[in-house]
Amino acid sequence: MGSQKRIAKELSELVESPPDGITVELADEANLYKWKVFMEGPEGSPYQDGKFLVNLTLPTEYPFKPPTVSFGTKIYHPNVTNDDKGSMCLGMLRADEWKPSSKIAAVLQFARQLLLEPMPDDAIEGRIAEQYKNDRKRYDEIAREWTRKWAVSE
Amino acid sequence: MSASTATASASLSDCPRPGRLRRFSQLRAYTQTLSHSSSGGHRSRNSLSSRVPWLSPSSSGPESPTLQVGNSTAPGPESDQPALSRYTSAPTASSHGLGVDTQTSSAESSRSTPPNEPTQRSTNVMARLRSASAVQGRPPRTIALARTATQEAPTSLPEPTPAATDAPESTGTIPTDAVQVTAVSANKKATIRFFPYQDTFQSSRPSLPFVPIARTLPSESSVIRVGRYSERDGIPIPNPTEPSDAPVGFKSKVVSRKHCEFIYSNGQWHIKDVGSSSGTFLNHMRLSQPNMVSRLYSIKDGDIVQLGIDFRGGEEMIFRCVRIRIECNRSWQQQPNEFNKNTESLIKNLGKGDGADYSGCRECSICLGSVLRPYQCLFMAACAHVWHYKCISRLLHQDYPMFQCPNCRAFTDLSAEVDDSNDVVENEEAKGPTEATSTNDSAEVPAGTQPAQATTTTSVEGQQPTPLEPHSEEPDFVTDVENLHLQDDNDEASGSGIDMEDGHSSDFPAPNASNDDLARSATISIPGFQPTQPLNVPAARQPHLRADTPGRSETSDDNPLTPRNDSGPLAFDGRAGMR
Repeated sequence: MGSQKRIAKELSELVESPPDGITVELADEANLYKWKVFMEGPEGSPYQDGKFLVNLTLPTEYPFKPPTVSFGTKIYHPNVTNDDKGSMCLGMLRADEWKPSSKIAAVLQFARQLLLEPMPDDAIEGRIAEQYKNDRKRYDEIAREWTRKWAVSE
Repeated sequence: MSASTATASASLSDCPRPGRLRRFSQLRAYTQTLSHSSSGGHRSRNSLSSRVPWLSPSSSGPESPTLQVGNSTAPGPESDQPALSRYTSAPTASSHGLGVDTQTSSAESSRSTPPNEPTQRSTNVMARLRSASAVQGRPPRTIALARTATQEAPTSLPEPTPAATDAPESTGTIPTDAVQVTAVSANKKATIRFFPYQDTFQSSRPSLPFVPIARTLPSESSVIRVGRYSERDGIPIPNPTEPSDAPVGFKSKVVSRKHCEFIYSNGQWHIKDVGSSSGTFLNHMRLSQPNMVSRLYSIKDGDIVQLGIDFRGGEEMIFRCVRIRIECNRSWQQQPNEFNKNTESLIKNLGKGDGADYSGCRECSICLGSVLRPYQCLFMAACAHVWHYKCISRLLHQDYPMFQCPNCRAFTDLSAEVDDSNDVVENEEAKGPTEATSTNDSAEVPAGTQPAQATTTTSVEGQQPTPLEPHSEEPDFVTDVENLHLQDDNDEASGSGIDMEDGHSSDFPAPNASNDDLARSATISIPGFQPTQPLNVPAARQPHLRADTPGRSETSDDNPLTPRNDSGPLAFDGRAGMR
C-alpha cells in the first residue's frame, strides 16, 4: 500500500518532467505496477532515431525490491537478451545492488545511457558483446539495421 | 509526456474513473499545476541546470552536445577535461570512481580517467586518488570559478548565509580559506569495524554469527590479529574508551589460530593471510595457498572477508566459516557535519509547533514523502538519515540487530549500548575553528581537490540555514557534507518539484534537486563501472571512494575517542559497535 503512494509520486514526476528522450505512461491505467516507457535512441548511437518500448514492472515490494526492465522492441545490444523477452541486465537492478532510495528516473536514465555505451564486459549476449568489442563497425551496422526494422515507426 | 499529461488533465475534467485512480490522476494534475505555478521558484535550478548540462540530463540547453561528449566514456582524458571543468565536484567524484575501478578491472577499460592511473596500479588507493584529483581538480576549479563568477557576479553574496536561497549564487564567492582547509594529520588513529555478513543472495549457508567488532589502533604500527578463539587465552576485553589492537577471535574450527592480520599503513587498511590452513578470502578471492603467508591486500569499506570454508557442510556452528563485512574510512560520517547537524536542529525543532523551522526538511527515501514533520514516528540511523518508522521498519527487523542504511549503506548495530558521552555541544563549537586553523597549515592538502569540492558544496549546500554554526568551521564541514550528500544521493527529489509539497521548503528544493542531479550524474553517467565489482554497489562505492580522497580520509581522523565527536546526539563515534 505504501508503495503505491511512492510509485504514484515517481510516475507523476516522470510525467511532469520526463528525462531526456524518455516518456513514461502506465501500460494499463488500472495497474500502477506496469509502466510503458518510450525511449528514444540516443544521438550518436546506432539506435538513433529509433523509439524503443521499454516495459518496466514494479514488484509489490517496491522500493525494497528492484523493478525489472525489459525491451518490448527488438534491439541489437549486448546487454539486452535477443529473445522475445528483451530482458535487460542493469547492474543497479540486481537484488544485492538495489537501494530503496534509487528512483525509477535514475534507472531509466541509466538504461538509456546503456544504449549509448553498451557494457560488453557485463553482457548478456556474449556474441554481440564480442562483436561490439572486436568488430565495432559491423555491430553498428546491424544495430542500425535492427533499429530501422523494429524501432522506427514509419 | 504530453500524451499522458493530456490524459491526466482530461480525466480530471470528466472524472470517469474509480476512486483510487481518480485520486491518482488528480495527484498528477496537482503536481503538474504545482510545478507550473512554482516555475518562478524553479528559476535557480533551471539556470543551474542549463549551465551544467551534466547535472540535469533533461535539460535541452545549448550545451547538450557537450554533455554527450563529457558523458561518454569513450573519449580520452582530454575530451573529458573541459566537461569536468564545468561540473565541479561531482564529476571529480565519478572520476575517482573510474580511477579505482579501472584499477580493479582489466586494463582494457581505458576510461576517461587519469593518465596517471596505469603507473600507480599497485600503490595504495589514496596516493592515486590524491594525484588523480590533483591533476583533475585544478583546472576545473579555476574554470568553474571563472564561469560562475562571470555569470553571477551581480548577485553573488559575500558569504553563504542562511538567507541565501539561490543555489548557484554563492558559488563564485567561496572564501579562499575554504580552499585550504582540510583536516589532515598523520597521527590520527585508524578505526576498523567488522560486521557479520550473510550472503543472502547466493543461498549459501549462514556464516558464523558474531557481534560487531570495532578496533581503533593505538599506533600506526599496531596490527590486528585475527584467529580462532581459544578458551585458554579467552578474548581480552578491550577497554572501550581506549584504542586497542586486541586480537579478534572467532569460535570456529575453520579459523586457524593465526589466520590473518589487518594492518594500517599510509592511510590505507590492508589484510594479509598469515598462513591459515583454510584460507582467507577477500571478495571471494583466496589470498594465499594453504599455510602460506600472503602479501598485503588493500581493503576498503564494504569489502567482504571470509575466513575459512564451511567444514562438513557447516551444519554445526563450530564448523562455519566467518564472513566479515569491513567498515573503514567511514568516520567522516561520524563527526559533526552540516548534514547531521542540520538533522539535529530539525529534531530539536520537532516539538515546537508551527513556529519551528523546517526548512531543512529531507524526504523519506522510502516513500519519498517529507520526513520531518511533527506527529510522525520517525527513525534515524547513526548516519543521520531519517525515515518514517513505518517505511523503514521492514528493514529494521530484517537483520536485527544489524541495520544497513538504504541510503548510504552504512551499518548500524541497533543493539549497541547507548552512547551517553554526547553532552557537550558547545565544546565542539569552540573546537571547530581551532581544528580548521590547525589543519590549515598541514602540508598534505591536495590543493586541487579541495577547491573543487568546496566550490560545489558551497553552491549546493552553503545556503542552508546553519544557525548554530560559526562560519569559521564551515568549510571543513562543508567538504564532509558534500560527501554525505553525494552518498545521500537518491533520497533526494529528482528535481521535479516534489519538494514543493511542503510549502516551507520552497527555498530548499533547488539545492536538493541539484544534489540529486549531481549524485545521479555521478552514478548514471558511468556505465562501465558496475560489472567489475559485483560486491560493491556503484552508488555505495561512490561515497566510499570519496572517503578515500586524501582530504577526507585524513580529515576523518579515524579516532573515535577524540572529544571532537561529542557534539550532540548526531555525531557518532564508532563506539557503537564496541564491546
